[in-house]
Amino acid sequence: MHMEPANFPYLSAILGTTVAGLIAIMLIPAEKKELIRRVSATFSGITLVISLLLFFAYDRSMGGFQFVEDYSWIPSLGIRYINGVDGFSLPNLLLTGIVFFTGVLTMWEMETRVKEFYALYFLLVTGVFGLFMSLDLFFIFVWYDVSLFPMYLLIAVWGTTRKEYGAMKLTLYLLAGSALILPAVIFLYFKSGLGTFGFVPLMQSGMSGTIAPWEQKFAFILLFLGFGILAGVWPFHTWSPVGHAAAPHAVSMVHAGVLMKIGSFGVLRVAIMLCPVGWSYWAPLMAVLAAIGIIYGAFAGLRQTDLKYVIGYSSVSHMGVVGLGLSTMTVEGLNGAVFQMFAHGIMTALLFSSIGYIYDRTHTKMVPELGGLSRVMPVASTFFIVAALASMGLPGLANFWGELVVFIAAFRTYPPLGVIAVLALVVTALFMLRVVQRTFYGPVDEKFSKLQDVSFFLGVPRMILAAVLVIVGLYPSILFDVIHTASAPFINGLPK
Amino acid sequence: MAYPTLAALIMATFLPFAAFLLIMIFTRMKPGLSARLSIGSVAVSFVCSVVLLAQNWAAPGPVEYSTQFLASSGLNVQVGFLADQLGLLMLTIVAAICLLVQIYSLGYMAGDPGFSRYYAFMSLFAWAMLSLSVSRSLLQIYVFWELVGLSSYLLIGFWYEKFSASQAGKKAFVMTRAGDVAFFLGIFVVLLNAGNLGVLELNGPTATRMPHEVLTLSALLIFGGIVGKSAQFPLMTWLPDAMEGPTPVSALLHSATMVAAGVFLFARLFPFFSLSPEAMGVFLAIGTISMLLASTMAMVSRDIKRVWAYSTISQLGLMIMGLAAGGYFAGVFHLTTHAGFKALLFLCSGVFIHHFGTNDFYELGRSGSRGLKIPTISIVIAAAALSGVPPLSGYFSKESIMSALAGLSNPMWLLAGLLGVFLTAYYSFRVMFVMFFPKSVEQESGHAHAPDHAGYRAMTGPLVFLATVTVLLGFFEAPIKNFLAGMLVIDLHAPETNWSHIAALVLSIAGLALAWFEFGRRGAEQVGFVEKIPPLYRLFAERWYLDHIYGLFVDRVIDRGISWLCWQNDNKVIDGAIDELAGGTVEGGRISAFLQTVMIQYRLLAIFAVLVFLAFYFFFEKI
Amino acid sequence: MIVPLSHALILSAILFGLGVFCAVSRRNLIMMVLGIEIMLNSASIAFVAAALRWQNLEGQTFVLFILAVAATEVSVGLAIIVYAFRRTGSFDPGNYNLLK
Repeated sequence: MHMEPANFPYLSAILGTTVAGLIAIMLIPAEKKELIRRVSATFSGITLVISLLLFFAYDRSMGGFQFVEDYSWIPSLGIRYINGVDGFSLPNLLLTGIVFFTGVLTMWEMETRVKEFYALYFLLVTGVFGLFMSLDLFFIFVWYDVSLFPMYLLIAVWGTTRKEYGAMKLTLYLLAGSALILPAVIFLYFKSGLGTFGFVPLMQSGMSGTIAPWEQKFAFILLFLGFGILAGVWPFHTWSPVGHAAAPHAVSMVHAGVLMKIGSFGVLRVAIMLCPVGWSYWAPLMAVLAAIGIIYGAFAGLRQTDLKYVIGYSSVSHMGVVGLGLSTMTVEGLNGAVFQMFAHGIMTALLFSSIGYIYDRTHTKMVPELGGLSRVMPVASTFFIVAALASMGLPGLANFWGELVVFIAAFRTYPPLGVIAVLALVVTALFMLRVVQRTFYGPVDEKFSKLQDVSFFLGVPRMILAAVLVIVGLYPSILFDVIHTASAPFINGLPK
Repeated sequence: MAYPTLAALIMATFLPFAAFLLIMIFTRMKPGLSARLSIGSVAVSFVCSVVLLAQNWAAPGPVEYSTQFLASSGLNVQVGFLADQLGLLMLTIVAAICLLVQIYSLGYMAGDPGFSRYYAFMSLFAWAMLSLSVSRSLLQIYVFWELVGLSSYLLIGFWYEKFSASQAGKKAFVMTRAGDVAFFLGIFVVLLNAGNLGVLELNGPTATRMPHEVLTLSALLIFGGIVGKSAQFPLMTWLPDAMEGPTPVSALLHSATMVAAGVFLFARLFPFFSLSPEAMGVFLAIGTISMLLASTMAMVSRDIKRVWAYSTISQLGLMIMGLAAGGYFAGVFHLTTHAGFKALLFLCSGVFIHHFGTNDFYELGRSGSRGLKIPTISIVIAAAALSGVPPLSGYFSKESIMSALAGLSNPMWLLAGLLGVFLTAYYSFRVMFVMFFPKSVEQESGHAHAPDHAGYRAMTGPLVFLATVTVLLGFFEAPIKNFLAGMLVIDLHAPETNWSHIAALVLSIAGLALAWFEFGRRGAEQVGFVEKIPPLYRLFAERWYLDHIYGLFVDRVIDRGISWLCWQNDNKVIDGAIDELAGGTVEGGRISAFLQTVMIQYRLLAIFAVLVFLAFYFFFEKI
Repeated sequence: MIVPLSHALILSAILFGLGVFCAVSRRNLIMMVLGIEIMLNSASIAFVAAALRWQNLEGQTFVLFILAVAATEVSVGLAIIVYAFRRTGSFDPGNYNLLK
């Protein structure tokens, strides 16, 4: 695997900015809320800019790991601080940058414990960034836990619906996942016999068969379940709608937009890339679970009355598409899966951001209590409707391309599952349109008739997200070109 | 030569999209400017398409521009323009109808609070449909196909505060989506077996390399999309409900865009489909069933727009019958003429509805709809064309479909087609007679007179134009046939059987006469023969209970069946198990808490005891 | 006269036993802390005697550490006891059962 050292430490710069932002927020007195918001916006804006620069600085013709920074950390255990990006992690880093920045802007109107909120939010995002860029299994595990811990507090303190229950359920599920990951990581560490947690040497020993087939199968299933819980794999998905619904808006955005991607990214980066033999052994199981998740999430979403629950179940369905792509063992499947991670992240972030605006005004997110909002807040409604259309897989918006490529790959590898997955498109359309109809159409309720439409400033985060959906939807190659640099060499290098 | 053509194609297709974006982002608050932008862009498209049509009138073959798309996703898909005879003809029809409808809407939609939004959606619609007509590959067609669905969803539900409107929009989207899923799967089957999605390749040698069963399967799946879009049996019930949208939208939807897209796709892939006779048999049956079912529904409706909606379904069924019978030209020509007279029918009805504020044509007749001269004359011309009365365009295209059907070995299809002709003439003139020979006219002053203002002129201008086209288009049958013949290698049928012409003519006159007898003659009671047979009437009025079946299906099977099961499974089984596990852990903690006795000294004692024991153990082990 | 190692070890063992008895049997927090102190000091005596016997200074160094640790331990322990007395009004270890 090609490793290109960095001229400028982009990756450490991203981590450094979030940590600096965290420290800066901690130093500001809690009463100066406006200042805290501005500082948060500034620092998250800087990370967004750096991740954009990174995205465009990546050399697509060369591929491999680039911007690699390699420092020894604990030599006796072979733990190193190695960061690097390839075509799989690059879209996810950009996604995190976008969701991070727009999340800060989405929470602009929040007034309770602003300082603590943003501090924890920055900590959460630091963990997410670290996980996407780290090339050392030990660090991947640490970053995973760093991003879980603030989640509990963020939901339990600032949440809404059944927040203690949701926070506890989420934390328990995710800790169970991490309890599966840790033994598998240590198992691989010892079985490889290399005395290193480094991702690249471990991957080579997995590819070359130094780690025996049964060991790969064993480690793969642990890693798949561990990360899969976070990715909302059926039947370990019930934490996700509850958690989405309980979390404050920006946390829902990060949660559904980015945190679930950590799960699928972990499955790809750690489970699949380290244990390719295990992958080919367990792939049919992955595919079946994913297909069930797609259709099941869509049907369960049909009965929900809470806006956030609806989106939560649609996330289960869409993450099933990612899982299906990962299980096909083809270049198209991986391309589509990573593309779908990005598209789904932006799309759910936009949905939750719009719901956030609506909830802050109407103080309800129950669909039956809403109605006619399109008349009162046409711009805010437009944002939601754009995201809902994207989630139905409408061409011209980003999600369509991810789903298309995954479905074709699935249709080739597992024809019956491909058909089931495609059929879910109708159900998704049905429940999304129902929600849109009941929330935004119909006569205006008396008590909502005085509400204000979204102002230009508050519209900015939603505009960014909607614009990304449209741009990627009209020019999908902007992502596919990057992802392809990682997926094609990987699939071609698999042991026969 | 090549670059101007490409530039014209790009201009023709992308300008409306630019107008859509501009209106949505910048001119939402300026209705006048929005309308000008939209109409201007579609006018340029129209000019471009006419220029392209004229330029290629004598061209020998299709002009194609393509580029790689999504190369890095692992798929090999070509996108670009395919400007052949069919595509250019469709482009011109769509641009013309869009332009006329948009001009008409200046009057119809004047003063509506969502005026800008209306024009934005209209531009989106125009963009999607224009691009669809010159798309190069099936994937590209699918993309615009879905966008056409989206824009009709937005326009049908345009008056979203009305529950029925938003309901109708949703229904249209979901039902066509059901068909589109089949289309989507069909694309996959084609891609995986033929390795290519180009329209020309599929119509050429690529398809013959596919195994016959696979070809039939993919043809049937793709036809599923056509069934959804063109509102054929069994996915037909969304189209009558789509009348909830503004009338110009219905005109657009029913003539040149949404529903026409289905038949257009059929014509596009005609050589591909005709490789599978089994599939063509199925298409013929579905076209026939839809045509007859919709005609019966049209016989009993009292809503003028719904009658035309049913007639659209039945005319589309007729086109599909013609195409499936091998009459390529017949189907396309009927699509062309139908676009003209159906748009005219809806636009005229729109004038009446706008003026009198009701959809019920009995009511319209009573209020004196005869007073509006231009719409009255136009609608009669259009209805006559729909019924196939000789010098008008509909006559010629129906005749060619009948002769295609007559070429089939089984006479059943021709008989069904002739029955359809009879019913069409009957129900369209039922409307005419009720509207213009009402039993009694309420003399209201001012209402029955034609208004004279800019809005009314904007509405009648397109009517006059379309009426002229309807009268004249039939005489251009031969040139259009020659033009289309240039692209088609296989025209299976060119039989000239005169008796089918005569039979069709006789039957349409008979239908007209029956309508006159029941509704038109002096002293007629204006009750149709169907209404005298209550069970039949109820069956027709309830649309053969199709909607009830779908309603029950969605409610019982999906909502209260599968969806309920999934949700219960989540709540009771999965969450129940997890909560039990958590509760069990808490219980276990409570039990083990009994070991804790509070006294810290007991623990100290225990520690020392264990230490002493260990000390002895290790001491004696040494020895 | 040099005290033999065995005498010092016997003294240390007796002191340790007294300390254990004190820590385990007295129902008074202060006396428990005292008992622990006595045990620590008995260990120190054993260390010093051993250092003398083998002429190795490490034993004495260890005692210095024990002294420092014992000082901090007593201060923290007494602080906790004072706080606990304020909360409950008694030195009885049986009264501290909030965690149960």
